[in-house]
Amino acid sequence: MELDLDESSLAIGRIERALSRIEKALADRANRPESAAQAPAADQSALKAEVAAVIGELDRLIAEADRG
Amino acid sequence: MADVKLTIAGRPYDLHCEDGQESQLLQLAAVVDEKAREMPGGTEVRQLLFAALMLADDAQDAKGKIEKSEPQSDSLRAAVALAESREATARDELRAAVTREQAALKELEAVLQAGPAAAPPTKPAHDRALLQIADRIEALAAKVEQLP
Repeated sequence: MELDLDESSLAIGRIERALSRIEKALADRANRPESAAQAPAADQSALKAEVAAVIGELDRLIAEADRG
Repeated sequence: MADVKLTIAGRPYDLHCEDGQESQLLQLAAVVDEKAREMPGGTEVRQLLFAALMLADDAQDAKGKIEKSEPQSDSLRAAVALAESREATARDELRAAVTREQAALKELEAVLQAGPAAAPPTKPAHDRALLQIADRIEALAAKVEQLP
């Protein structure tokens, strides 16, 4: 499947909306009074690993795009 | 001051107490009277001695229970504080990661908008990667929203 620039922009829009959802969820969580409830450590590690992997993938894309 | 009439071990007593404390005094007298009556047949002094010893024993038991429960309360408080601190750290790390991700995305947008010279459009591999990233970040958002 090939995407033109507009479709790339759509993908970026999806990413931006997803990031906003994450920010909102984190803010809600911080404001909750029973914030002592904690996600299992394994879940947190998996989440962190996935975030790091996605950032790495974005960095790789940027580097490739810079190189043209 | 209020006047209160008490009966302990069969003997009436007239006492004074501060206004409003009458019912509390009557309640305490009832406790002493109950203890005194647990040793019927003795002299009044022996009944009162017995009541005093029983109440001292109750007080010592209660004090022992409080002392035993204090270390447990301390451990629980420490565990809660530790959990709160870890949760706050994890949240901060995740938030920092989201910020880095947004910065990276902006950079990517800038590269894409810079035009064909900087980033030739329609590179299928890049576009596919971008789509996959969108899928993964949406999945991440769903996971974060479902955190307890």
